[in-house]
Amino acid sequence: MSNAQDEAVTRLDSAVAEVFETMLERSCDPLEGEVDTVEGRIVARIQFTGAVDGECLLYASQATASVTAEALLGTPSEPHDPMVDDAIGELCNMIAGGWKSKLASPDSNCVISTPAVTRDGLDGYQAKFGTKFSRNYSFQGNVFGVVLAF
Amino acid sequence: MRALIIDDSAVMRKVIERALRQAGLELSEVLQASNGEEALQTLRDNQGSGALALILSDINMPVMDGLQFLEARKQENLAQGVPVVMITTEGNESFVLRAIAAGAQGYICKPFTAEQVKARVLPLLRAA
Repeated sequence: MSNAQDEAVTRLDSAVAEVFETMLERSCDPLEGEVDTVEGRIVARIQFTGAVDGECLLYASQATASVTAEALLGTPSEPHDPMVDDAIGELCNMIAGGWKSKLASPDSNCVISTPAVTRDGLDGYQAKFGTKFSRNYSFQGNVFGVVLAF
Repeated sequence: MRALIIDDSAVMRKVIERALRQAGLELSEVLQASNGEEALQTLRDNQGSGALALILSDINMPVMDGLQFLEARKQENLAQGVPVVMITTEGNESFVLRAIAAGAQGYICKPFTAEQVKARVLPLLRAA
């Protein structure tokens, strides 16, 4: 991994930890190796445009997404509650914003989109960007993944 | 006390409302809007129906964003004198300066704690 990619990963780990500690009052740690979160997953996507062009994807199983929504809201959620998709989108938004805010100027002079949330998978989203890495995280045994491409 | 929360995420509107209550604000009514245009309509509809004490707004929203909302509010002379606090993932200095120039009195970056909301909001309410 290059130094630039190492730094991007460190910034991402830091952004994820901050969001979980602040908004969900939980610790969240990176996992090494591949983790299968494909089954029934929800994907949120934020795009960067400007000094940095790219995107941040967050994907989670239905079960992890429900636990995340409950932790954010402090109330139980139903499996197909639209608040679950909303919570995953907002989580991706805060992680992408946190990652962006840790970039040095002028790279931090980019705009982030509003989150788009889908249950249709990740195929083809990141193909046009030169640098891409994925990272898995776990909080209280619940696993989710983040892909950054730019 | 009445407050207006503007955010395209219903989850975040609930989280912000909870943070305001945890900050000790006694909210009699919380109006909600999912973008700037809805917020302007809410302000028009609620003119003369009791004083609004506080507006909290996201920046990055579809239809009409938070900065456009601030400009439009000023042009229509709606809820002038009501403190506006931006709550957003956009921590970039240029966004902060643009929001303040457009009439925002406070700025909170997501992610945030209830304590941070309290620290930004209470002085504005005391000064209003």
